[in-house]
Amino acid sequence: MRRFEIILTRLLWLVPTVVGLVVIVFAIANVVPTDPVRIIAGENANPEQIEALRVKLGYDKPLYVQLLRYFADLLHGEMGTSLYSQRPIIDDLTSRLPATLELTLAAILLAVALGIPLGVVSALRRNSLLDHGLRVVTVSGLAIASFWLAMELQFLFAMKLAIAPLNGRIAGFGPDTVTGLFIVDCLLSWDIESLGSAMRHLALPALTLALPAAATIVRFTRAGVLEVINSSSVLYQSAMGLPRPIIVWKYVLRSALISTVTQIGLIFGVLLSGAVVVEAVFDWPGLGTFAVQSILQSDHKAIMGFTIWAGCMFVLINLAVDVLQTVIDPRSTR
Amino acid sequence: MRSLRRFLADRAALLGTVLILLLVLAAVLAPVLAPYPSDVFDFHTANRLRPPSDAHWLGTDRMGSDILSRLLFGARITIAIAVIAVGTAVVIGVPIGLVAGFYGGWPGDILMRVSDVFLAVPQIVLAIAIAQTLGPSIENVILALSLTYWPFWARLVYAETRSLKNEVFVESAIALGASPLRVMVMHVLPNIASAIIVRTSIGMGATILTAAALGFLGLGAPSPTPEWGRMIAESREFLPDAWWYATAPGIAIFLVVMGFNLLGDGLRDILDPRIRRGAAGKA
Amino acid sequence: MTALLEVQDLKLGFRTEGGLARVLDGVNFRIDAGQVMGLVGESGCGKTTLARAVLGVLPHHAAQIDRGRILFRGTDLLGADPRMVNDRIRGRAITFVPQDPFTSFSPVFTVGAQIMDIMKWKSPRRPADNGGARLPALLRPYPGARRRADRAAVLELLDAVQLPQPERILAKYPHELSGGQRQRLMIAMALLTEPDLVIADEPTTALDVTIQAQILGLLRRLATERGVAVLLTTHDLGTAYEICDAITVMYAGQEVESAPIDRFFRSPAHPYTARLLASLPKSEGTVAGIPGEVPSLLRPPGGCRFNPRCDRAGPECTAERPAATRRADFHLVRCHHPLAEAAP
Repeated sequence: MRRFEIILTRLLWLVPTVVGLVVIVFAIANVVPTDPVRIIAGENANPEQIEALRVKLGYDKPLYVQLLRYFADLLHGEMGTSLYSQRPIIDDLTSRLPATLELTLAAILLAVALGIPLGVVSALRRNSLLDHGLRVVTVSGLAIASFWLAMELQFLFAMKLAIAPLNGRIAGFGPDTVTGLFIVDCLLSWDIESLGSAMRHLALPALTLALPAAATIVRFTRAGVLEVINSSSVLYQSAMGLPRPIIVWKYVLRSALISTVTQIGLIFGVLLSGAVVVEAVFDWPGLGTFAVQSILQSDHKAIMGFTIWAGCMFVLINLAVDVLQTVIDPRSTR
Repeated sequence: MRSLRRFLADRAALLGTVLILLLVLAAVLAPVLAPYPSDVFDFHTANRLRPPSDAHWLGTDRMGSDILSRLLFGARITIAIAVIAVGTAVVIGVPIGLVAGFYGGWPGDILMRVSDVFLAVPQIVLAIAIAQTLGPSIENVILALSLTYWPFWARLVYAETRSLKNEVFVESAIALGASPLRVMVMHVLPNIASAIIVRTSIGMGATILTAAALGFLGLGAPSPTPEWGRMIAESREFLPDAWWYATAPGIAIFLVVMGFNLLGDGLRDILDPRIRRGAAGKA
Repeated sequence: MTALLEVQDLKLGFRTEGGLARVLDGVNFRIDAGQVMGLVGESGCGKTTLARAVLGVLPHHAAQIDRGRILFRGTDLLGADPRMVNDRIRGRAITFVPQDPFTSFSPVFTVGAQIMDIMKWKSPRRPADNGGARLPALLRPYPGARRRADRAAVLELLDAVQLPQPERILAKYPHELSGGQRQRLMIAMALLTEPDLVIADEPTTALDVTIQAQILGLLRRLATERGVAVLLTTHDLGTAYEICDAITVMYAGQEVESAPIDRFFRSPAHPYTARLLASLPKSEGTVAGIPGEVPSLLRPPGGCRFNPRCDRAGPECTAERPAATRRADFHLVRCHHPLAEAAP
């Protein structure tokens, strides 16, 4: 029942979060002396055209009316029209979600697959050359600007070595859409050629995103393992002669992962932040590219939609992490 | 003294300090150190996209300007953004956390719920939304970053203040009739200063990365400004050939962020005894 | 009678920031088969370290063993193949009841899962050929027939340690059980593998006073029924008196006297033992009530380490540690000036 409570609280949190985000962005837009209508109308518009557009977009109304109207539209799933694609913003966000999801999921899996074993080994061989080397790598991984890393990987693997595609998500049209995740869809339709292409396209952006996440996971796993490995339960198991691999990879890892799992919400934030710029570099047709194109178009409504969308995703991810934690840590359901 | 000695013994923290000092030195001495100080704004199109040479150690950019000179002047922008943005975030966040933690009750709850909303989206997303709304300029990037990052300090100060509030010395100060403001400033603040300093050092690194990303996305200063993120963005279209163009500002960002992260880790080891590493177990 | 476990001249220390702490200084010690031996001393006297040395779980980065042997049935545990010791002896022939049953279970698995993991590797029904295939430990199978037999044995023993509804207890997580229940489980686990020796390191200090006696009584009864020897470390002479056959006293890393329980209380020979016994009524049986301080192990006094606090000490006590002298059968004392034999 405790689990149900957590889910409900988190879902209820969506409402104040979205309201708060809209209010924040609205408030900022109205305390600074910029005129969004002038930006939308373009430099060549005359004053009459601007005023007509202002009335048409509702910017002539008082702030609270604009706010209420925005919320009313939001309740109907209406966020306005994208200047870039001329389609409803909500449709653009929905159709671009799977691409971002595929990228971030691949990055998380990669980060976990790299970070957890390295974190464990680093803790077991504390103060060894390997541990020191890994510390340098993790500290560096958290200091690299992801857009720069993306460009350098592009330069090396796509341009110089030509073993990975420069950008995009797939060659050709891609598989029939079922989930929207190309890798999954390729497997479902058993399209091996497209699968290979999708994976090659995914490799560099996923690697770029995974590096800082992996660095975070290594640090947390290392700290978690060190804490558990000196605990009384490990002393007991060692004294009872349980094989070392069982103690480390079953008992210690499971306990250490609890603290790592709590960090996954945070790590997902790191990934989502990274995704915005990394997608832009790799022309990955996801939410980040949408945001960047909207920035270039000064498309205020689209940026709002993107912010709300990201906020909702973030709340839902934290919900998933909380539920996962009740599964992995029996103490939390007390 | 012992703290200082321990800090100096921590080679990583020392390296961080050196990196930050180098950044400050580069910023202050940019007009002296830069081989072509006027290249920040001047261009020499005949000389564009030259690889590193004796005349241009780090090569030239698309306008034929000396990259090293622009990089050195860019250090000023990086410092300005980091110091002002983080400073503002501290100035907003610390009093809010202090008041919310000290008084508690529903005002405290509301302040903290507001900070939750700010923390509900990744920082860069909120910064993008704010910076885009305000329009591209350095001042707006700084404002966007301060508005995005203040909850980190508010949260920290709130938690620390709440745990301090029940300490004997705070309770006795209140009992002796000290005004709330006096208690907060004279008794609570000095005891949470070290936690704030640690968070500020680590926050500097994160802020510089986000600022560079905003510059890269075109939300920062307009074109001739030698902002590092923008320099990297400009280099993109010349990438297969002009490999040196993005390399220098990328490494500069990396070293500075690493400097603040290492310093923050080192300061945490010294200033925050709860998580000091290497605690000996019972034999 | 040959000794089941014999520690010979064991000298070891821990590297600390302040230098080498000389925790054990040439300790001799023995337990015979089926014997319940109390290892008594103030905290910091080295009794827990001695227990861990026998179990082979000293902190490997800090511990430094200078000399000595730990003979179990004639095999030197310090010199033998570590894999053999871990597979055949630790958890099998020598088992462990820890000090703190609250933290000694992993909190994230059910107690049943943890007990069955011990049984998978340490069950007396496990064949001697290392389980056949040379698979990595994590992938090694647990044959169904043996699993069922092991599980039946577990349930039977849980019944023997007076845990009602054993099936339900096995399905629980450690935090859902009381301290007494957990320590009963620990005792059950220590006996499940049909060991020759159980090492119980202050097994009741973390428990409520009212159930300490029950747990100790249970341990004593089950050990006697099964003919299992017990090494019980304690700082509580009353506890030792209740359940032990014999007592060895340690002081600052040296064993000073060892005697059967009746001789120990009737005719102590070492001045330290006498002081311990004299402090009994005042401090409810704990060892704390003796004047003077336990010496620093970083710079311990020479010879017999008790000499700074001893009113019988002479120059030879600082110069040289006395050899063991035999007072009676199984009554050994290491003192230059032992007390006279008490009148019978």
